[in-house]
This record gives sequence, C-alpha cells and structure tokens, in this order.
Amino acid sequence: MHRRLSALLVAAAASLCACGSDSHVVNPPDTTTGSNEPLTSAACPGVNFGVRPTSAVPASTAAALQVLGLGGETARYSAEVAAHGTTAYTTTWGTRSAVGNKIDIWDVTGSTPTLVDSVIVTGASTLGDVAVSDDGKLLVVATERSGGSIVVFDLADPRHPRQLSRFTNQDTDPGVHTAEIGRVNGKLYGFLSIDPVGSIHARLVIVDLSDPSNPQQVYSKVAGNPYVHDTFVRDGLLFVALWDDGMEIWDVGGCGNGATPAAPRVLGNVHTIGGQVHNIWWYHDASGGKRFAFVGQEGPGSVGSSSVGDIHVVDISDPTAPKEVAFYHVDGAGTHNFTVDEANGVLYAAYYNGGVRAIDVRGDLKTCLPSQQNFNSSANTTRCDLRVMGRELGVGLVELNRGVYVWGVQYLAGTIYASDMVNGIWKLKAAK
Amino acid sequence: MAHAGWRSIHGVLTLNFEGLTQERGELSTGAYGEGYVDRRHPHAYVHELLAGVEDSIGKQHLSLYAGRGFAPFGSDDPMTRPFEKYPVNHHLAQILERVLVVGAARVGPLIGEFGVFNGDEPLSPGSPPKYSRFADSWSSRLTLLPARFVEIAASVARVKSPEVPDGHGLDQDKWDFYTRYDRRTSDSRVYGLAEWAHTSEHATGVLTTSLSSWLGEAAVCKRDVIAGARLEVADRPEEEPLTDPFRTPRPPSDLSNLGVSRWTTLTGALSAPRLLKSWFSARPFVEVARIHVAPGDPPGLFDANLRYGTSWMWMYSVGVRLKVGAIHDRMGRYGAAVVPETGTGTRSNGSHDMPGMPGMSMPGHSTNAVCTL
Repeated sequence: MHRRLSALLVAAAASLCACGSDSHVVNPPDTTTGSNEPLTSAACPGVNFGVRPTSAVPASTAAALQVLGLGGETARYSAEVAAHGTTAYTTTWGTRSAVGNKIDIWDVTGSTPTLVDSVIVTGASTLGDVAVSDDGKLLVVATERSGGSIVVFDLADPRHPRQLSRFTNQDTDPGVHTAEIGRVNGKLYGFLSIDPVGSIHARLVIVDLSDPSNPQQVYSKVAGNPYVHDTFVRDGLLFVALWDDGMEIWDVGGCGNGATPAAPRVLGNVHTIGGQVHNIWWYHDASGGKRFAFVGQEGPGSVGSSSVGDIHVVDISDPTAPKEVAFYHVDGAGTHNFTVDEANGVLYAAYYNGGVRAIDVRGDLKTCLPSQQNFNSSANTTRCDLRVMGRELGVGLVELNRGVYVWGVQYLAGTIYASDMVNGIWKLKAAK
Repeated sequence: MAHAGWRSIHGVLTLNFEGLTQERGELSTGAYGEGYVDRRHPHAYVHELLAGVEDSIGKQHLSLYAGRGFAPFGSDDPMTRPFEKYPVNHHLAQILERVLVVGAARVGPLIGEFGVFNGDEPLSPGSPPKYSRFADSWSSRLTLLPARFVEIAASVARVKSPEVPDGHGLDQDKWDFYTRYDRRTSDSRVYGLAEWAHTSEHATGVLTTSLSSWLGEAAVCKRDVIAGARLEVADRPEEEPLTDPFRTPRPPSDLSNLGVSRWTTLTGALSAPRLLKSWFSARPFVEVARIHVAPGDPPGLFDANLRYGTSWMWMYSVGVRLKVGAIHDRMGRYGAAVVPETGTGTRSNGSHDMPGMPGMSMPGHSTNAVCTL
C-alpha cells in the first residue's frame, strides 16, 4: 500500500549534540572526509547531501504517545491520511458495510477530529492514497480496480473539495495504487504507481499537474518486481519503491544533468534486506544533512490482524551506490507509511496492528556500538539496530487494547494524525 | 480426453472447455482460487497434455511423463469424484495445470512419485504457463496399497509464488494425507475418502497464513443410483473482491490477505441412473449443502455477516451430468502411479484398447460400466 508525504518541512534548527566518540564502530566506513564536505556526487552535482552527522544521540525509553481523540469511521475501512491546516482527509478502502469510495473530511481543530463533510468518488470500488499539494491548493486521490485513475480536487474551500479533473488512460489500469505529488523545478507532478494485472506488469506513470484541470502524462515505464508500490520526490530526485527490485534513485531534474520527469535518469539502486520495498522517505535533517532515506518493507500479513516488515535506513550520500546501514524492527508487527518531523528529527511510522511508532532519527544512524549491531548473514551486511540503540521514542494506540490497524500517519504542528483501518482517524500528541 | 499408447510410449490429452461454457466460473459458495471467490474457476483449455514412457524392470513398473497436467500431490481431481460441487480444499489438495516432468515407480504395493513443475497457476483458461519458471517447484507423493480397494497416500510440495506469475509472491509449503476406499463390482460401488490437507504460505521465511482442511466423503452406488455425503472443514484465505464480488485481483497488489475464514460444509448428493444411448449418457443429480462460515486464524477483516448477510447458508445444485464417450475414472496420476482399479478389471496403462482405434490404449478410465459417473 503506501506512504504519505505532505507538508511541513523544516523550520527550526535542531539541537544536535556534537559528542561523537571514536570508540564507536563505524560500519560501513564513511566515504566522506572533512575535505569533501558538504558532500556532492559527481553523478548528481546539483544535490548537496550535507555534512556528515557527528552527533551521538542519547538513548531513550519509549513512552506512550498521548491520544487526544478519535474521529470514528466504522461503515468503511479507513485508508490513508493527509492533513493541512486544520483539515484532515482520509480515504476509505475495500468493502465493509459500505464501499470504500468515500473521502472523509475532518475538522481537526479540537482534540477530537470531527467529520464535517465527505466526498463520494464515483466509478471507484476502492480508494487508497491521498495527498495535499505543498501549497494546500490541491487534493489528489488514487482509485483502484474499477478503472485506475487519479482524481484532482480544488481545495479553495478546504472543507468542501471540488473536483477539477480525473486522469485515467490505458496505462493507469487496473488501478493507481499510490499517487505521490511533488514539485520539480517549480512544476507540480504526480507520480503514479500502477498495479500489475494478469501478465501485464506494474508501471510507473508521471503526470504533469501544472494545469490541474487538465493533467498530462509525460512518462510511463514498466517498473517493479512484481510491484512498484510508491515513490518519494524531493529536490529533483525521485525515489522509487520497486518491491523485490529494491529502491531506485532517479534524477528527474535535481542533478542538473538534463534529466526531467519526462526523461528521468537512474542514479542508483539498493536491494534492502528482505526486499518488499513499499515506501520511502528521503530525510532532510535540521542541520542540512540529506544522507539517509527510510525504506518501509511490507511483508505478508492479514489485514486487521497481523503484519510484518522493518524500516530500513539507507545511506544515499553516494546516490549511485546507496547502502543499507541500519534498521528498526518490531516483533509481531510491520511498518506501513511514514511521516517525519524533520525539525525535531522524529520519524513516525504507521505500524498496522503495532499502532504508531516514534523513532529518533537524529545524528549518524550508521554509527553504533558493536553491541548495537546486527549481522545479517544472507546479505553479509552489518547494520545498526535502532531499537537496541534506544532510538524508539514512543508507541501510540497499542495501550488502548481495542484493536487497531494503522495505515498512515501524518505529523502536523506537534500533532500526529493516524488513519486506522478499523476505527477511523486518531489524533495524538507528537513525541516532541 | 484421450489416451494413446504405442509400445512403451504413451500420451494423455484432456481438453477442457469450461473457459467457454462457464467463463464466469461455477457458483459454489466457499470455493476460491485463481482469482475466483465463491465460484469455482474454469479450468485451462489444455487441462492435460503429456507424453511419457513406461516400462517394467523385474517387479518394478517405471514411468516418466512430461507435459502439462497434475503435479504428483494430494487426492484425485474433484471432477472425477461422485459430487458435482468441488470442495473448498481444491487448491489445498491438488496442484493442477502445470508444466511438469514426473517420474513414478511402483514396487509391489508401494508407489513413489516425484515431479518438478512451474509454480505459477494459470491466469485464465487460455493463458500459457511461465515456461521460464519450469522446475522452480516440486512435489512428491508416496502411495501404499495395503489391501484390495484401499490406498493410503502422503504428499509434500514446495510451490513457488503460485499467484504472482513473475514470482516474488507468497510461496507455499503443502502437505496432504488421504485414505481412499473404492470397491467396485459389476453393479455396485462403495467409495470413501478421508483427507487432511495443509498449506503454509510464506515470504522470505515469514509465515503469513496456515490453511488446513479435513474432508470425509463417501458414496454408494447400487443399480446405478449413487448416494453420497461429504463433510468438509476447510480454511480459505480471504481477498478483497473486485467490483465483481466473485473475482479477486490477479496478481494481488501485495502479499497480504484479509484474514482466514473457516468453512464447514455438509453435502448430500443423489444421482439417478443414467439414461444411456450408445456412447452418450445423461445422469440427473441433486446436491444440497449446508454451509457455515466462521472466522479463521487470523480472522483479519473478514466478516461473513458483512459479506453474505449471514454465516449459515444453503446451496442447492440440480442438473444432469452429460457424457459422450469415456472419461477418467480418476485424474491426477500418470504411468506407474495409476492405481489399478480392483473389481472392474481395469489395470494400469495399456489396459484398454480404445474402441475404434486399434493399438491405442486407454489407461485409468472406464467406459459405461454401471456406477461410473
């Protein structure tokens, strides 16, 4: 399924503690030195990956994330969440007592999200991904299985979206699994991950949304093995989740080498351990570092009951040769979509039956003590274990003992919004 | 269906036109597989097409077959059993329509089989197999014939990514154990089958779903009237239906399911004597099934009351089984693995001459003997 992006980038500087210790084992060896920082890559001179984090982050003990309120949805299964300002949008999925063709619109001003309106998307048997553009003007929803499409809404009145257009063609069948939106050199694009069907392979489609009333396809390519599940676009780089083909980094205009969304160029690929690459977040830390991407692995599970899959940390400081350096694992649950409070360096992950997890991602994530390392023999790789490093800051919703299955999360101004397939939308207080 | 043989070389061909006659599948509450739910899927047009060699060395009967057909696993295909409706466990207890090479050896009362095949199941009646995946999966079956009319078989299989043709889907570890009794006389038949089947689905070493089934079925035939009963408890993996509630996405969009449901089905069947006309026969039948569906383990999101409005259902089937020529008495075994049918005189391959085709033989099937389907 997917991930969520949206919003809120950096504002404040984080208080990173520069107290690294040489006694810590570095693995794999860092490729940077003081003489080549801030780091750029010859393959992508347009992107500055920032200085190497040198801080040591004190270990934390996970605390319960405070639940502020629940906006209930029990007629349909809730799917992804996107929030902007004082409004949140949740899609619905599958069939419960009603078909998952509705977008719920929530007033999230108070502690308890209040349903203020809804939109039925016609011609859809299920929805999935939802995204709000960075300027808050557009809402984009992906539809699956009864003719794949994206539906673009005008948010001039955020509580009452107005449909502007619907983009569908033969490349979007049988369904748009995720639709990520982002700007490349100032122009808004949609990045659509298309389901496979029969012997027809999965596909990535890129759509120019600069005229949201008239989206135009600019690129289409078979991708993924067997799925392409999601993308993440930022600074002209596109990160593509190719399932068992790993994570690929594409230049779509950020490197300054002539690539565009219509003519992307592959920079590099990494096969994270276990494959099943589902979603990605390229993390920009508060001090300007851009060296790590977080990769969500979606293993097999039973929706509503069980899940598996880790968060993998990939060092992308050399985008032509990204390397997995760390991971986060939860026994008995698997990750789904992410959001990151980049100012405070906290990643929030939807963890299905494991609720919401808050992880401290400040500092150098690939440096840890030997006791905090984990060797994977099949991949012949040693990685830092974020849990053993004491990076788990908080756990949300699990303590309620009412059965949750969290699809998506979004951080917004000190608050976490979590879409729970079985209960609706939760509002929680952020860990920091 | 046709069998042919010349000296030690044999061929098997079964064409199946369900893709034309029941494109949407056959309504069958609880059934699933190959992208169908609550309908049995139509089989591939080329259900079986194999060529093989057989020979005997001393007391050993050996065979090697290659082509498209049944992997050596589990019990007989339900098509040749005395019930019209397939059991829920069809995809737990049979592996069909694969490109395979299967070797078999029979020594006294013991039959051993081993086969390699492509793990991907058909996407549609006309879709070709993924030849590039040949031999990514295997199965083996050991059968003991301890007494006349009785066989006991145990099977194991490792099937790679059956639901995702390009691979990287869930893999299956499968086990099956059955005991079968089939006594035939010139005017009667007593049949029974008790079976346990289990499939574990996993990816990268992580177990995601365990599916089990218990099945017991019996039938008696006298004066060409067949009465039968079947009790089955079987797990079904639940998937999100498409707009068509009887179809699920193929391939699925990820490795998850909606949980497991447990189906308990009690079926009673009665078939009237056949109306016979030369090579044509028509056998009227009626079947009534009482069905209960409950949450399995894990229950996931599946809720029978949401899906069906109830957890208790009836299923009625009335029809006429039409037959022209001969059909398999059993299906799913080749060469040395074919179990001799005591009581009717049928032996292993090469036992019957095909009428009108001198030199051609018809293994493992019968014509219009009393109590055949």
